[in-house]
Amino acid sequence: MTRFVLRRILAAIPIGLIVTLGVFALVFAMPGDPLRELAGDKPIPAAVLAAKRAQFHLDDPFIVQYLLSMKDMFTGHFGTTFAGADIASQLRLRIPVTLKLATLSLALQWIAGLLFGLYAGFRRNGVVDRMLLLSTLVVLAVPGLVLYFAGQFLFGVQLKWLPVSGITEGYPLAYLLPATCIAITGFAGMARLTRTSIVDTANADFVKTARAKGLGEQRILWRHVLPNALLPVVTLMGIDFAGIFAGAVLAESIFNLPGLGQFLFQSIRFHEGGVVVLLSTLAFVMFIAINLVVDIVYGFIDPRVRNV
Amino acid sequence: MAAIPPTGPPAEEVGSTVRRATGVLGVALGLALVLTSCGDGKGSGGGAGGGAKSEVIAIAADPLDYINPLNENGSPGIQVAQAVFAPLVATDPNTGKTVNVMADSVTPDKTSQTWTIKLKPGNTFQNGQALTAKDYVDSWNLTAQGSTAWKNNGFFSKVEGYDAMNPPTPDGATPKPTSVKTLSGLKQLDDLTFSVKLKVPFSQFGLTLQYLGLAPLPEEVRKNPDAYKRKPIGNGAFKLDGAWNPGDDIKLVKWDGYKGPNAPEADAITFRFIPNADTAYNEFLAGNVDFVDVPPTKIKTFKTDAPDGWVTATSSGANYLTMPAWDPRYKNPKLRHAFSMAIDRKAFADLVGLATPSNGLVSPDMDGYRPDACKYCNFDPTAAKQLLAEAGGFSGAVNINYNTTSATGQIFAEAIGNMLRQNLGLTVKYTGKQGSEITQLADTRKLDGLRFSGWGHDYPSIEDYLTPMFKSNGDANFSGYNSPELDKVLAQGDAEPNPEKAIKLYQHAEDIALEDMPLIPLYAKQNAYLHSAKIMPRVSKYTGVQALYSTFK
Repeated sequence: MTRFVLRRILAAIPIGLIVTLGVFALVFAMPGDPLRELAGDKPIPAAVLAAKRAQFHLDDPFIVQYLLSMKDMFTGHFGTTFAGADIASQLRLRIPVTLKLATLSLALQWIAGLLFGLYAGFRRNGVVDRMLLLSTLVVLAVPGLVLYFAGQFLFGVQLKWLPVSGITEGYPLAYLLPATCIAITGFAGMARLTRTSIVDTANADFVKTARAKGLGEQRILWRHVLPNALLPVVTLMGIDFAGIFAGAVLAESIFNLPGLGQFLFQSIRFHEGGVVVLLSTLAFVMFIAINLVVDIVYGFIDPRVRNV
Repeated sequence: MAAIPPTGPPAEEVGSTVRRATGVLGVALGLALVLTSCGDGKGSGGGAGGGAKSEVIAIAADPLDYINPLNENGSPGIQVAQAVFAPLVATDPNTGKTVNVMADSVTPDKTSQTWTIKLKPGNTFQNGQALTAKDYVDSWNLTAQGSTAWKNNGFFSKVEGYDAMNPPTPDGATPKPTSVKTLSGLKQLDDLTFSVKLKVPFSQFGLTLQYLGLAPLPEEVRKNPDAYKRKPIGNGAFKLDGAWNPGDDIKLVKWDGYKGPNAPEADAITFRFIPNADTAYNEFLAGNVDFVDVPPTKIKTFKTDAPDGWVTATSSGANYLTMPAWDPRYKNPKLRHAFSMAIDRKAFADLVGLATPSNGLVSPDMDGYRPDACKYCNFDPTAAKQLLAEAGGFSGAVNINYNTTSATGQIFAEAIGNMLRQNLGLTVKYTGKQGSEITQLADTRKLDGLRFSGWGHDYPSIEDYLTPMFKSNGDANFSGYNSPELDKVLAQGDAEPNPEKAIKLYQHAEDIALEDMPLIPLYAKQNAYLHSAKIMPRVSKYTGVQALYSTFK
């Protein structure tokens, strides 16, 4: 297991380099001058532009800018954004916000997805199964933007049950509405995958064999059906967790949550190559770590995987 | 116990499974809540103000990273700085005349080239330091240094000695270090008096002094501005109420030391930054903020959403369709007039929403605005076709560039394009780009075709429209327009000490620009705002809508 973990971590290093270089190149290739974007419609004096370009090394060649960004990242000298925000302070503020939003939304999404998926899988073609099919179709058909604003208007503005936006109400109240909205959009996939997987596994030959051998139903359910049925679900959970960053961009923007997604959106808008690379690296490290955890969990659920 | 049939187990079996699963997942949810419950528990917030005379103002923009008027050249930074800092002079909201705030007198010499500014005695900063002429001189010198990289550096380009401090640097080159740290035109005469010598006479300089971007910084801030980015020390009516950390609202409380005129009625003000304008609007509808801008998406509904709590005012600005002077196909003024007369401004203003069709190049709220200034702004497709024919037609397709980051950019471009196509029979194409890329291409005279542009003044003079946009080396000469005749008339206006005569000269400059028409006037926007029942924002023809100066019911 140790060798497996080490091998995965070592393999992540070249991938990380390729990812960060690629992301930096994409931001670098974006058209338009980032400093002019910052100024809006007002002209910036040539002297100020020149000083700012020198301060942020914007006149250096691409590879020099990239290496300077990586150096700043690994030495912990994050500096400031073009607009003057201290990046380290921003990270201290934003990482907890995104983590809280992500964990709450995933918990809600997984609970709802697994419960409905399990129930519908065991009660195929029943009322719950049909309701699940209908509700997931509706959820998948409604764009996230519409759902988020509708939720905000209904529960925040009209009913006043939950805060409209911001984090001033603290955790978990301020996060409940955006987390629920994210959970609703993610729940459909989880529920349908769980349901299909349960149905497939319950009909598999090895379950019939177990039953023919005279094993008890509880044992068949917990030792044979669920571990096998949940394998693809665990994979989806890993992908969900690693993808929280992307999901947070829209929710944090609409619900005014000062998290990493909002920061990433602003940084892309202002062509902040260094910040985008920093945030991408964070997302990448999280992705690698979660994938590793998923692989380890897989090993526990399915002994066949341990020796792969 | 029953066997699990292919269609599923019996109900009690499922119930048991689900109960167990619920238990496991319930623990997971509880764990998630516990694990993440540390941190930003800020308790109760929100709410439209706590005290009797407190208000929460929503600003639909990214949160500020600092409060420093010398490094801000637009909203929302200036909006917040207005509460913390006070200008030298200001516009009286009732009369439109300039009144002294920190200044006791502003006196030009006979040629309007050297201006003497005397400060009122007894004013201090919020740290107790007396406000002196040295604070202005040193703050302005600090800003005028290119290496400081503050946005209002360009304001001082009119002052003698600016070029020595900011030697011209080719685009992309690193600025050369210079030992010059002070503007030769800036002199402290005594504790409360200083003089400003300009490069050339400028009769409007007194008006420019109301620009908040010229506010003074106290000595301790000047020594280490970065240390005071989030704890400004101003000279205005409000000061920070406690610490202002990243992510926090900006909470201000009345500062008793402010002795200037027009003190706001509020005792406390909270600025809440909500980047999504629709979310900010919803916060107002939920009763959590007292004042909000109406976003473009709500222009049709805001009067019914808040029937007793809305105000509108013409914004201090104007919007144009900009011609590229560097493309010979657009050179003939008759062709530009044809384009202008092919545009149905009334229909376009209706499309924009709250807007009025423009009939001149300056904002309607300016002294010197003439509602009938433009001879070529009436919608007349027949005359437009005739003018286009006289100009020899147009070869190729008209390309209209629009900003892809604007929600309405493409809609507006297609509206103008359809009018040119239908009324002049032209082929039109559209190019979407980021705003900064369009600006960069226009600045380097490489932009292909038309673009939209807008301008809002920094001080209330029609000169602040004509010089930046139409002077041959204007800061915001979007079209690359160059007219020696217009430059000469503007210089005459700048040198004319009599305000009425100066306005006449500037109007003459506007006539020249309208005849050449490098920019086609389109519309003047009206801004709409919602306010809660407890406040009434100040609404003035001259200063617009100001929540900072709300009266309380």
